[in-house]
Amino acid sequence: MPFREINSRMVEATVAPGQKLYSQRGAMLAYRGEVSFTPNSVGGRGGLMSMVGRRVAGEATPMMTVEGSGTVMFGHGGHHVQLIGLTGDTLCVEADRLLAFDGTLSQGTLFLGSQGGVMGLVRGQVSGQGLFTTTLSGHGSAAVMAHGGVIELPIVPGRPVHVDPQAYVAHHGDVQNKLSTALGWRDMVGRGSGEAFQLELSGSGAVYVQASEEKL
Amino acid sequence: MATFRLQGSKVLAVDLTGDAVKAKNGSMVAYDGRMAFKKLSGGGEGVRGMVTRRITGEQMEVMEVKGQGTCWFADRATEINLVGLDGDKLFVESTNLLCAEGSLRTGTSFTGLRGGASGQGLFTTTVEGSGQVAIMSDGPAVLLRVTPQYPLSVDPGAYIAHQGDLRQKFQSGVTFRSFVGEGGGEAFQIRFEGDGLVYVQPSERITVGGDA
Repeated sequence: MPFREINSRMVEATVAPGQKLYSQRGAMLAYRGEVSFTPNSVGGRGGLMSMVGRRVAGEATPMMTVEGSGTVMFGHGGHHVQLIGLTGDTLCVEADRLLAFDGTLSQGTLFLGSQGGVMGLVRGQVSGQGLFTTTLSGHGSAAVMAHGGVIELPIVPGRPVHVDPQAYVAHHGDVQNKLSTALGWRDMVGRGSGEAFQLELSGSGAVYVQASEEKL
Repeated sequence: MATFRLQGSKVLAVDLTGDAVKAKNGSMVAYDGRMAFKKLSGGGEGVRGMVTRRITGEQMEVMEVKGQGTCWFADRATEINLVGLDGDKLFVESTNLLCAEGSLRTGTSFTGLRGGASGQGLFTTTVEGSGQVAIMSDGPAVLLRVTPQYPLSVDPGAYIAHQGDLRQKFQSGVTFRSFVGEGGGEAFQIRFEGDGLVYVQPSERITVGGDA
């Protein structure tokens, strides 16, 4: 695993010849050695379909390829950085929260409307995160940004986890998500507790939740 | 009984077994099991509490969370501190109160001049009974003990809560000269005397008396 946590807001990645990694453009803080940074015209790799998907999805946070031999430090906006390791599974994360990831991971986009029907479509509007999300799959690790600290909550079959859409950061594993409401109609019209909608995640995997309801 | 535990320093996990807690509106970040969220108009204490709150401006948007499972709370990535109450009373600014066990009584109390200087209104929230409370601070809070021999003076902006048998008074540490020109930025303090504990945060809100 080429990533290492320096502190809660910075990660260090080791690059060796023949290996590469991707990061959000402008997220490099410092580097040692011979390292080159090449902007990607479209985020990550994954061929034409991914490119088209990205254009349509608006999941087009500018990315760059990092190659060479040395170590690179990444961080962005003073946000908390969380390292997530993948062992053959898929991570779903909003593109603007993705700081850097191993070049060995394959990247794609997922249409969230296909999960949970109409409520899936509403999800993007409520969470302000759009209808598409970025996926990373394979073996390797990714650095993800959050406001405040992050907690990891396990999702096990029969015990779904409900997350405030604004506090949701990312999830991995075999997980379905849909928008749910914890209120009756009466509660919605008059007396909101401020917890009208949640993302319901079920299946098996884990969800990352930030200690804040602020977007990045 | 509800169990409060910290998960990291910024997330509070509350395990519920059919009982309820009161929490700041909108502070839930996740839950499992079954939970119901209900807004408490006025923040407890029935109609009287509601009227007091309206008059005092100590508006506490509170919800009742009831259920079976674990509920996680957080607010704007602020640090969370757990306070245990054993039949005593906690005074806390409503903006710093995150969550309290449902069995605890909440109310309001007149703070005198202190509120005026700290820009937090003349009233503060009280939590009374036996159980756990989670309060928020900007940076990790420190707990300072006050004894009859050792009174304590606190910057109004750094004060977040206190408990025990304490009298508080507002004091001005300035002479006319320092007031007009050479202020050290520490014009006002709250002085605590008696026997109890004061929670202080390592940050100052912008206050009338403080160095803004």
